[in-house]
Amino acid sequence: MAIPAISDQDFDRLTRAYPSDRRYALAVMQDMQRRYNYIPPEGLTALAEYLNCPVAELYSMATFYKALSLKPKGNHIIKVCDGTACHIRGSVNLLNGIMAALGIGPEETTEDGEFSLELVNCLGSCALAPVMVVDGVYYGKVTLESLPDIFNRLREGAAV
Amino acid sequence: MNITIDGKPCVCEPGEYLLDVARRNRIVIPTLCHHDGLPGQGCCRVCIVEVEIRGRRNIVTSCVYPVERECAVFTDSDAVNQQRRVVLALLRSRAPEADRINRLCKLYKVPEYERFASKSGEKCILCGLCVKACQSLGTGAIAAMNRGVEKEVSTPYDKPSDDCVGCGSCAAVCPTGAIEVKEDAASRAIWNREFRLRICERCGQPAGTMEELELAARKSGAEPSALCGECRKKAVADAMAATYGV
Amino acid sequence: MNCTVLVCCGTGCIANGSIDVTEALSRALLEIGADASVKTAVKQTGCNGFCENGPIVRIMPDDISYYRVKPKDAPAIAASIGGKPVNRLLFRDEEGKPVLSQKANPFYTPQRKVALRNIGEIDPGQLADYRARGGYEALKKALAMTPDEIIREVEISGLRGRGGAGFPTGRKWRTAAGYEAEPKYVVCNGDEGDPGAFMDRSILEGDPHTVLEGMAICALAVGASEGFLYIRDEYGLAREHIQRAISDAEEEGILGDSLMGGGKSLRLSVVRGGGAFVCGESTALMASIEGRVGEPRAKYIRSVQRGLWNQPTVLNNVETFANIPVIINEGGASFAELGTDNSKGTKVFAMVGKVKRTGLVEIPMGVSLRHLIYDIGGGVIGDRPFKAVQTGGPSGGCIPADMLDLPVDFDTLTQYGAMMGSGGMIVMDDRSCMVEVARYYVNFLAGESCGKCSPCREGLRQMLQILTDIREGRGKKGDVELLEEIGETMIGASLCALGKSAPNPVLTTIRYFRDEYDAHIHEYRCPAGVCPKLTAFEIDPAACTGCTRCKRACPTGAITGGVKSAHNIDQASCIACGSCRDVCRFGAVRAAAKRRLAV
Repeated sequence: MAIPAISDQDFDRLTRAYPSDRRYALAVMQDMQRRYNYIPPEGLTALAEYLNCPVAELYSMATFYKALSLKPKGNHIIKVCDGTACHIRGSVNLLNGIMAALGIGPEETTEDGEFSLELVNCLGSCALAPVMVVDGVYYGKVTLESLPDIFNRLREGAAV
Repeated sequence: MNITIDGKPCVCEPGEYLLDVARRNRIVIPTLCHHDGLPGQGCCRVCIVEVEIRGRRNIVTSCVYPVERECAVFTDSDAVNQQRRVVLALLRSRAPEADRINRLCKLYKVPEYERFASKSGEKCILCGLCVKACQSLGTGAIAAMNRGVEKEVSTPYDKPSDDCVGCGSCAAVCPTGAIEVKEDAASRAIWNREFRLRICERCGQPAGTMEELELAARKSGAEPSALCGECRKKAVADAMAATYGV
Repeated sequence: MNCTVLVCCGTGCIANGSIDVTEALSRALLEIGADASVKTAVKQTGCNGFCENGPIVRIMPDDISYYRVKPKDAPAIAASIGGKPVNRLLFRDEEGKPVLSQKANPFYTPQRKVALRNIGEIDPGQLADYRARGGYEALKKALAMTPDEIIREVEISGLRGRGGAGFPTGRKWRTAAGYEAEPKYVVCNGDEGDPGAFMDRSILEGDPHTVLEGMAICALAVGASEGFLYIRDEYGLAREHIQRAISDAEEEGILGDSLMGGGKSLRLSVVRGGGAFVCGESTALMASIEGRVGEPRAKYIRSVQRGLWNQPTVLNNVETFANIPVIINEGGASFAELGTDNSKGTKVFAMVGKVKRTGLVEIPMGVSLRHLIYDIGGGVIGDRPFKAVQTGGPSGGCIPADMLDLPVDFDTLTQYGAMMGSGGMIVMDDRSCMVEVARYYVNFLAGESCGKCSPCREGLRQMLQILTDIREGRGKKGDVELLEEIGETMIGASLCALGKSAPNPVLTTIRYFRDEYDAHIHEYRCPAGVCPKLTAFEIDPAACTGCTRCKRACPTGAITGGVKSAHNIDQASCIACGSCRDVCRFGAVRAAAKRRLAV
């Protein structure tokens, strides 16, 4: 998968809305994550310079907060909720089914760069357990039978 | 303000940390993550004591507990001893190779806890003193990575850091000797990076890494010193002697 | 006549397709609009709470509620307005009779909506809707009061923090007001992280202005001029609605440089959470707002004195702020009429898990768990035996069946080792393994602990190891006592509330379900038939009808048998996931103890 390099211009665009103040470190990194699907090393260095703080401290944040990732994520991000309600309504079986279908484990990305799988904390949609969120779209009461159809449609690039 | 520690009357200022009051009064409370120059860590929890205010007893962490009202403090009550033993046992399973933890375990009669899963070869108890030392020097080359049970201290990407000056302050403050520093006559290796040492012009001993001396010089606005710390002091003394004829 | 069609667009209903339903309804109404005598408007509202039965559509003023509405139902609904209701979309009560109004629906009748008063009634994107229901009247009233008078009302109300700890809100405000410092901050904790809780999300999404109004009143009372709403990363819709509400309110001159023209200023901004459960802890949350790693600090000096950037800071939870406008409008004494002696007002609960009617429920404090689970929730799915209810998330505990008559309030739950927490209620039946539940929470916390202090970090690591061993048949004599010993130390010696309450799920399951631990350790058996290493599933050929449901559900193809002939499970390829038992309608799949393999 081609990973876009982050240019000076890109970086300026990312930080335009934020003054050079430490309090915006998390917000800039979240925007970076959204734009590049991960926190690129050169982005981290540029931000450290912009905020005048050590790279190590930003790196520490990037490993602390689950919304940030140091490894590139796939085009489609599948989040399987493992909140309590989903857990007791079979999220583990759902996860196993997805792992078998895609050949990847949690926090991994398929070789073609299409899918990343994440096991996440409660998404607050407990009434629909078990819940899966793909690219921000919620799927409630997901069954193993419905999985192939969902993935095929995503692969074909159709809006789901 | 008057308090008692293990029955002994002690005088203190409001807001003073309990650990400081105890130490001033020669009452021993064990610590790991506390360092006088870098206070406020409060994370190893070995220094817990029991504080009784108006008949209510609570376990508090003495190194960060400010004394705000009159109280009776107990440093070796049953509750303190029991919890301290478990904390030490937990730390021992985290860092079984740390001599200091093993000594404390012996001192406080911590039983075996065979059921605990031990990390092999580990010395670090993740107290964070090294990170704090590095930050306070303005280098910030190391930091705590990840969180929870996966936490560790490292440089970004586990690679040699450009910010590191090889000063070894991190290793110097480490309570368990967990940071590896390799040094020979000409170089020092720390955090996956090798530094060339500057040799003192007077005594021939290492004066520090080039980067470290440059950083110190930048901060003070002077030229990097060609002498080691000891010889620098001697040089100043010599100069004073020459001037004032002492 | 005017008629409003309210379409629930909470996250639950959106997941069930309510956006498409809204569009279909608008189209259908437009088509018949020409010859209809009624003027109709379609509005998207926040969460109605009865998420399991979404999408929910309400017709006002007739007060008819339709459930599980599909876009194809739109023409029928449009045609029914002013005429006969669409029977098939109505809720059915226990006797199967159709129910028109929410007021007659057993899920809603016992509820008393205070914090949720506007949700489902208004379009959260319309400031005018909020004002039409008395919105910002409390702020207007507060502007004419002294800070002391505002705080007095909150104190009289007896309101306690809804985020979990239950600290008296009035006392917190009074302390903060007492510090002479500039600036002071007001912070709204919207980092709702307890698995199984979604009331804050619902309020932020469905009635954002009420939270802003509560914060503005707080700012007046304590003298703050800047505020932050820290909202979970996963709650995109909530952030969007709050952001819009802030700009609308600023545009109208309600917030901003001069609160309702009164001269006092309040700047509110939204901070996106980074995805860390520990940031629900107030000092960690503040560290995160400051742009640092979300690690808590010792709270011997409270954040009302030294909080954000070391300035006095009042931090309250979303639901707490949502109660404030009601307290100011109707008076603290009126608020205090609801609830118990020490827990005033109502509480919103998210009732989920193995309960028939899942969703958000707001009831006065002090009602019994039984009332909540059986009268409102309709009991356990499939009428299976109730085993436990987990309250308060990872900081809470599991309460067994013989305590169902306990009143739900802050102090009672704490007394029994559980916690109110933010109000999550997870109902478990006989197919929930309490050892596995404890392990689930410990595993969750082991990943979510910040890792700063040793009792929490190392204690969780060892607890997880021991619980995993027990679950997988490697438990040893003395393990339970050891778990208790670690737990006691974590409660006493941990740095923050996360670590101090982390052992609760373990300690309560040991306290109330010790026999399950013993069965795992000494008998090599999981009584609930959940732990795969200890469980084998068998099909009773006499009960099996050969419907093939289990065969289709089996992820490993371990089930054989033709249509209408008894099925069989091949133990060699079975992974004991229990999917077959979950789908079987005839009770033919049974869990048994797996025979112990030679060690």
